Amino acid sequence: MGIKHLYQVISEHAPDAIKTGEIKNQFGRKVAIVSNPVTVYLASILIWRQDAFLIAVRSDGQQLMNETGETTSHLMGMFYRTLRVVDNGIKPLYVFDGAPPKLKSGELAKRVMRKAEATEAHEEAKETGTAEDVEKFSRRTVRVTREHNEECKRLLKLMGVPYIDAPTEAEAQCAVLARAQKVYAAASEDMDTLCFDSPILLRHLTFSEQRKEPILEIHLEKVLAGLDMNRSQFVDLCILLGCDYLDPIPKVGPNTALKLIRDYKTLEGVVEFIEKDPKHKYTIPEDWPYKEARDLFFHPDVRPADDPLCDFKWESPDIEGLVQFLVTEKGFNEDRVRSAAARLQKNLKSSQQQRLEGFFKPVPKTAEEKAKLKRKNEEKNEEKKKKQKAEQKAKKEAKGKPRGAA
Amino acid sequence: MDLLEARLEQALLLKRVVEAIKDLVQDCNFDCNDSGIALQAMDNSHVALVSMMLKAEAFSPYRCDRNIALGINLTSLTKVLRCAQNDDILTLKAEDAPDIVNLTFESSESDRISEYDIKLMDIDQEHLGIPETEYAATISMPSAEFQRICRDLMALSESVSIEATKEGVKFSCIGDIGNGSVTLRNHANVEKPELNMEIELTEPVALTFSLKYLVNFCKATALSGTVKLCLSNEVPLLVEYGLAGSSYLRFYLAPKDRGLGGGDASNWLGSSDVVDKVRDNLQTGLFLGAGAETRAPEELAIAAMRIKVRYNIYV
Repeated sequence: MGIKHLYQVISEHAPDAIKTGEIKNQFGRKVAIVSNPVTVYLASILIWRQDAFLIAVRSDGQQLMNETGETTSHLMGMFYRTLRVVDNGIKPLYVFDGAPPKLKSGELAKRVMRKAEATEAHEEAKETGTAEDVEKFSRRTVRVTREHNEECKRLLKLMGVPYIDAPTEAEAQCAVLARAQKVYAAASEDMDTLCFDSPILLRHLTFSEQRKEPILEIHLEKVLAGLDMNRSQFVDLCILLGCDYLDPIPKVGPNTALKLIRDYKTLEGVVEFIEKDPKHKYTIPEDWPYKEARDLFFHPDVRPADDPLCDFKWESPDIEGLVQFLVTEKGFNEDRVRSAAARLQKNLKSSQQQRLEGFFKPVPKTAEEKAKLKRKNEEKNEEKKKKQKAEQKAKKEAKGKPRGAA
Repeated sequence: MDLLEARLEQALLLKRVVEAIKDLVQDCNFDCNDSGIALQAMDNSHVALVSMMLKAEAFSPYRCDRNIALGINLTSLTKVLRCAQNDDILTLKAEDAPDIVNLTFESSESDRISEYDIKLMDIDQEHLGIPETEYAATISMPSAEFQRICRDLMALSESVSIEATKEGVKFSCIGDIGNGSVTLRNHANVEKPELNMEIELTEPVALTFSLKYLVNFCKATALSGTVKLCLSNEVPLLVEYGLAGSSYLRFYLAPKDRGLGGGDASNWLGSSDVVDKVRDNLQTGLFLGAGAETRAPEELAIAAMRIKVRYNIYV
């Protein structure tokens, strides 16, 4: 899911748009977190894996369940992830996915959505799990139920953490909230949040501590400056790279996509070029309604930021309610739940420490500094490419040599 | 030929500066130009900022032909500075487009010369513009006194409220085990001017800060006998340790909760029974001093608001 290779393109051509840091750096900020079924599920399976390690034996590969056999891992995931975010002084706000947007042909959209979900889950599982996990995962992806989502919402309400249901895509809703400065940033793993015009995207925010992944802060403005594009060109580039709504054009990778947009400015121009190209180097898939896809990025179905539903309040947790829900109904450990609730109470209600950026603004870099930075980035890229080439060469040579020859 | 050469009569100065900031900042750029060596860096959570300026006059001689930024890991610098004795002569050297900085320590007593190179880092740092501020209150006091207050109150609470009026300045805190406060009044000691306590005030201020950071700033106490606290409502606190010449080490700290006087205030002032409650409340004494029961309702309302803002009581 998301935009194929977009991260790679950005890190190569606009490296200063990406800041890496610890979760601490986000201290004191409000953040809108995307919570689509897949992410909740991923969170839960990762937690389950950790616990599996702790308990050492859980070879039957069951999810965390309580005595009555109900799944609880999605709640476990939601609960502890949120707690970690709050512990670091961040005020989270969850945005739940609504119905998938309908592209011109609804069937196509559905097919692509289904495929995208399965692939993302697959990718993630591949990264972190064993072959069995991957297999199990693909079978289970479909089983994230409406009930799980409802339970997550009930949990958030008890925790005093606000949430909102997006009419369609959660990423689009997050982007609107971030644009309106209701929140500092949108947190999602999905790069298409940038296409929806979110000024800042946070990745890896809800990853567990054990993974030691730094948090990536991607600034759209700097991405556009680095790529030397305006927003509509950027969206066109993303569609060309391959988004959720359309199949990518075969044989068009990140480098070609970038070159095509740079040469022909818009998708219209690119399509015209491809159709008129006497060599027929690329073929556009049969059903490729790129204008509709673009429209989905520019005019997604979202709640406007001044909607009363977008007035968010962080409240004290309902401790007894949490105990009732998590301990009595779901079989969590009571001591743990109570101490976690106490932490929530302290963090969400304690007098808020402000950040210096509210008072002191960063000095913009001078043209000279910018040029220097650009040069440095280019040098780094060069070096990386050289290194890659050298490695490939070394590999080739190693292969070429007959075995056993000293 | 070196681009930068800065000779310091006593290594102690740099040792103490680095010691004072190394817990707040891990890596930072030392920006060198012909007027001296400057450093600006924020802590991890972007709540506090360190700003150091060592003017060219602090060195003898000082030469810097072109602006350069030396990106140094402060833990590494501390390790190397431990190899210097307090009254060694310290010389900093760097070449054009350097990848190392060279430190030389010459013993003042013997002919011992030690030399160390530290690898530099490429740090892409954001500079924050600090606006010129006319502070509402400027307090100078013995640095050791400030350190003591911070440490004492730290035992009770995480945050301290600093209130400055014409009469004096009051540091107070409320914690789980109870509360505490220290009040200092204007004080001029003819025999020992370093014990002077002075307040310059254009309007009263009241702000709350995290003690953890203040205690951290106090690591600079050894650098200067006096410390200057500059406050205005709604802006970061400035804690300044003046060094010889017009060099300085400054810390800025963002305040806690902006609620005071803001849009929410009217909600708190709203109900009169709140004012009554406060009148009965011992905490009032903490904010208004003795005789709270005789004060005007408006004053009590403001006190009530402060209490609520500070301790997050929502009625």
